[in-house]
Amino acid sequence: MAESIPTVNAIADVEFGGELPAFTPDTSIDATRRFGQHVGWNTPRFTDHDGARKEGLPGAIVPGVMSQGFLGAMIHRWAPTAEIVTIDTVFRAPVLVDQPHKITGVVTDIDEDELTVEIDLTVTNEAGETRVFGTATAKLPS
Amino acid sequence: MAEETVDQDIQDLRDQFLNREFDEVTFEIDGTRFAEYAKVCGETATKFTDPGDPDFQAPPTFVSTLVGGRSMPPDFPNLGGMGMDAGKLVEWKAPVRDQATLTGRSHLHDIYTKTGRSGRMVFLVTRMELYDSDGTHVANADTRTVIRERPRG
Repeated sequence: MAESIPTVNAIADVEFGGELPAFTPDTSIDATRRFGQHVGWNTPRFTDHDGARKEGLPGAIVPGVMSQGFLGAMIHRWAPTAEIVTIDTVFRAPVLVDQPHKITGVVTDIDEDELTVEIDLTVTNEAGETRVFGTATAKLPS
Repeated sequence: MAEETVDQDIQDLRDQFLNREFDEVTFEIDGTRFAEYAKVCGETATKFTDPGDPDFQAPPTFVSTLVGGRSMPPDFPNLGGMGMDAGKLVEWKAPVRDQATLTGRSHLHDIYTKTGRSGRMVFLVTRMELYDSDGTHVANADTRTVIRERPRG
């Protein structure tokens, strides 16, 4: 059965302080290998745990550009009509491959004149530690 | 509001390097590549994942995967610490389509510092401005590199 995600279609649907539906990104080794094969970042630190450990990492890590892609996808899953105008992503700590992570988001501003919303996005691991933080501005239909 | 002070060495770097183009590179955009990027990142909208969609286009963040020929001006000094990727920013301006030819022009957009308990960190923001073959400015893709300076003395 398909996952049911409440969606936003217009700026009037958005509430200040409202939370986006949490998103569980695919941080598996299969996903980073697929990313490496088709997009880039196809090196052991992203695609092979043993290879990453040889570089001094605790295991393979998710490429930062892939984490940024997760944040964009989360916004589009919440608001399919949204146009992301800007998205800033801060890589605070590595996102470890094959470790569960969760992305949460909250609406921090609504500009009804410009038809834009600002959203804070946070990628956390199972320990609740922030690994990636993002801020986005998205435009929505009136 | 207090005026922000900038260390003199950083001001000198800003004066010498900011907004000076140092790289130009061409990208041939492959829709199958950005569709795979979209799917592996969790996009579900067909305009990002299905080449048959009439509005097929790259997700806005895809431009962060476009890497220029160099990330710093050739004459930029070695600041003495290890550089790490601290973040990415995308300003989206127009859709990037399958088979588009984009030109990316890079310059240093900002240089600033933060000082903490372990010393000073220098942040270098490299901006790649992306234009399509009509000259339309489609996006800016910023890479923020942080250099943690080695303690002196």
